[in-house]
Amino acid sequence: MRDWQDYVRRHLRLSGMTPEREVHIVRELAAQLEDFYREALARGRNESDADAYAAAQITDWARMAEDVRRADRAHQAPRLDRLTSALEALPPSQPQRGVLLMLTHLMRDARYAVRQLIKAPGFTAVAILTLALGVGTTTTIFSVVNGVLLRPLPYPEPDSLLRVHELVPNYGRFSVAPATFLDWRQQNSVFERLAAYQGTSGTFTDVEGPARIQGAAVSWDVFELLRVPPARGTGFTADQDKPKANNVIVLSHGLWQRRFGGDPDVVGKSVSLSGMPVTIVGVMPADFYFPARTAEYWRPIALNPANASRGGHFLGVIGRAKPGIDLARASAEMKAISERLALQYPDNSAKESAEVVSLHEQVVGAIRPALLTLLAAVGVVVLIACANVANLLLVRASVREKEVAIRTALGAGRRRLVMQMLSESLVLAVTGGAIGLLLAYLALTPIQTLSAGSIPRVADVTIDRSVLLFAFGVSVLTGVLFGLAPAWHASRAGVGAVLKEGGRSSVGTGGRWVRATLLVVEMALSIILLVGAALLLRSFAKLTNVHPGFDADRVLAFQVALPQGPYPEDSNRIAFFDRLLERLSATPGVRAAGVVQTLPMRGGYVLSFDVQGRPPAKPGEEPSANHRVVNPDYFQTLGIPLKRGRLLAKTDIETTKFVALIDDAFVRKHFVNEDPIGRQIKIGNGAPPYEIVGIVGDVHYDGLESTAAPTMYVPFKQDVFGQMWVLARSDGDPAALGNVARQAVHDVDPNLPAFSMSPLATVVSESVAQRRFSMLLLALFAGVALFLAAVGLYGVVSYTVSQRTREIGLRLAIGASPGDVLKMVVGGGMKLAAVGVVIGLAGALALTSLIAKLLFDVTPFDPASYGATALLLLAVAALACYVPARRAMRVDPIVALQQE
Amino acid sequence: MFSPELKKGSLEMLILSLVESVPRHGYEIGKLVEARSGGRLTFALPTLYPTLLRLGSRGWIKGRWVERAGERERCFYRLTNEGRRVLAEKRATWRQYVAAVDDVLGTTGA
Repeated sequence: MRDWQDYVRRHLRLSGMTPEREVHIVRELAAQLEDFYREALARGRNESDADAYAAAQITDWARMAEDVRRADRAHQAPRLDRLTSALEALPPSQPQRGVLLMLTHLMRDARYAVRQLIKAPGFTAVAILTLALGVGTTTTIFSVVNGVLLRPLPYPEPDSLLRVHELVPNYGRFSVAPATFLDWRQQNSVFERLAAYQGTSGTFTDVEGPARIQGAAVSWDVFELLRVPPARGTGFTADQDKPKANNVIVLSHGLWQRRFGGDPDVVGKSVSLSGMPVTIVGVMPADFYFPARTAEYWRPIALNPANASRGGHFLGVIGRAKPGIDLARASAEMKAISERLALQYPDNSAKESAEVVSLHEQVVGAIRPALLTLLAAVGVVVLIACANVANLLLVRASVREKEVAIRTALGAGRRRLVMQMLSESLVLAVTGGAIGLLLAYLALTPIQTLSAGSIPRVADVTIDRSVLLFAFGVSVLTGVLFGLAPAWHASRAGVGAVLKEGGRSSVGTGGRWVRATLLVVEMALSIILLVGAALLLRSFAKLTNVHPGFDADRVLAFQVALPQGPYPEDSNRIAFFDRLLERLSATPGVRAAGVVQTLPMRGGYVLSFDVQGRPPAKPGEEPSANHRVVNPDYFQTLGIPLKRGRLLAKTDIETTKFVALIDDAFVRKHFVNEDPIGRQIKIGNGAPPYEIVGIVGDVHYDGLESTAAPTMYVPFKQDVFGQMWVLARSDGDPAALGNVARQAVHDVDPNLPAFSMSPLATVVSESVAQRRFSMLLLALFAGVALFLAAVGLYGVVSYTVSQRTREIGLRLAIGASPGDVLKMVVGGGMKLAAVGVVIGLAGALALTSLIAKLLFDVTPFDPASYGATALLLLAVAALACYVPARRAMRVDPIVALQQE
Repeated sequence: MFSPELKKGSLEMLILSLVESVPRHGYEIGKLVEARSGGRLTFALPTLYPTLLRLGSRGWIKGRWVERAGERERCFYRLTNEGRRVLAEKRATWRQYVAAVDDVLGTTGA
């Protein structure tokens, strides 16, 4: 007998039908023709007569096809398919036929895929959610990496912008002394321009009262150097960059808008800055910032070559390299100049050198390892998501084998089949990617809030074209990655075998292997992430448990800056702070009030010193220590304990003996087996020698991570600063003291604002903000990874249970207890989990040394982190296996055995 | 014997009534029409099959592939609820029509 299906397929040209429908119609017509054939045989005709009889039932095949198509409109494929058929009917020589055909095929595949996916909502939802999590986390981190690390600085030709540092023995990179900068500028031949700058702040006074605004003092040509011209007015001239001539100011766009209402005639107007009249000469464009976003105005720095200091280091220096000069060349020359200067001025610059780095590196260098770690971590999350979806697809493919076999039998080529399966993955990936992009967009604001102050340039982070491209790329790549294996696998299944089996799965052993491998990979990758997160978590816990040496709770901190005009002499400043402290201490709710020139965790103030009676140190090798200028109540305010001797007293003033306190770290480093009390130290602040009268506890001034550095304290009345931090210890919430503090400042001088106000505890917690940020994100990713791995394990175990229902029923029927079944199912899953854990732990051992830089007081091989992680993963895995195992235990043997 | 128009108008109703109580496959339906009409009504496959598809498209019948003991797998059609309603309607209309035509022709009684 002839193959009637083949016969019908060859004659009936059904264009524009869905493939399933076509299969149905061909099968049915073939079955009927076969009935006619058998009927003829039964009536005694020979085979060839019977064949002719059956074949004669349909003669006008074109008409038949037309009638069928018309009658079956409900199942007819839409326009796209008809377009495809029309294209296919064109002669192959027709130009663009190939491209158009490919496009229509692609769209048809995508549409078919969408229909198939809608039919399996559970599978589709899990797959899309998984991918959305993967793409979302990756895109979020990439948008940060892109904004912070990859995007060029917002100045034209940023590559030739370089930062120049002094290299000081024992300290490394250091700010630049004015005299050194002036020499550099004069002697170098590698920079077009070299500019100095220094952060500053000033009090703007207008109808709203005084406000402290951050700004920068800059060399006159810094805007030319950066190649950003002002949006209004002009920049500075060289003549304005001189002492007493620098009463001009350039405003940022933000300050112009906020403080001057965007007044178009603002250029040329005069304003009061810290009590001095200055003329506004220009306004910068909206997106300009330098050296940081916080700077809202610029003034000429007006260094005086006549008396520029060579010992005080406080300038930042940037340069615009001449065309053709690279970093190495600039570096070599600056080094040579500095070393020459060091020989020329041994008193101040001995052994100093210079270092040149790109401005971009300077801005983002410190954050790079943390960001790249996070990027690697999210890469792993994506891999896990891929493995998960690949597994889901494999399970689905084994269920759909029969469909694939029929399509193959109908003449679909392997390439078409792979394309079809792939387009399904791509539809999933692109949908997941779009949702992921949405997640990334939603995550942007929280990320910026969380990382503000701890990641430079984080305000630059946006979802721009590169981020969109990245998200799209990741989606498509994952789509291909997780779709290829199942597609290949499914297209390989033998047609005959599948059809003969009556629709039962045959992906069997091969598929099981692939699934198990993917699962083990997932588990291993999760372990690596979890170990990383655990290490960061423990580091963070240890760090926040470090006692800073003072009690930051209930302390409010703010700054007051005294302008030169009304406060020309030390005595005026001392009088101001004396009155302010008196006033604050008398306020109800304030326990104690202190002043200091630099806040803990907010940078250092280091001075060299000589212990009197010891041989003088060689130039460049003088010992140095933190220098703090404080009032007697400072120690009570911060809860810093007195160890020996006495604290500072109100009676230690400018006219009495100069006294100092030192801390334990100072004693350990500089007075080994000596009693420091009563000894004299000469501090590099120009004051007479100080007598050490007491020893206090260590304070981690430079941050919790660094060990407490030697510190010396002197009374503020013996070395006062014009700008000081004021600290107030309260009985309750320190933030509640804000208005009281502002009022106290206002009462003493109504023209002065209290600024940078913040609870000290916040300052301390901000000092670990970057760590907290990395830790939280890595923990989040590890959590996502664990969740995905658990879903993956659950899916595979569940599928295995459903495939083995009969076997389980049989086992129960011949006497296995539900407990045995539970053991068998959970055991099977846990075996995979255990293999994954072992591989993952090994991988973590190999990889975590990469994040050693981010750890604090924890080795990359911390056994507790590894152990806890392994236990956590195994517990979650056990849970993921237990749920389907319970289902297996409840299998009714009779029902299970009747299934076939 | 009957004009194609006449036959075509009644084929849908015939098919619906044949699958009313028992699911049947396409070949069987064709043969039954022939047998029950004593050979007076025959429909060729090119007429019968598109009609089956059309009835399916309208949701009046539904086909399902079934393998019966000792037989090849075939697509068996059965009446849907909607089909049942339509068949009742068609039957009633047909009977009223026949009665009306009879009344006019005067073929019954008198």
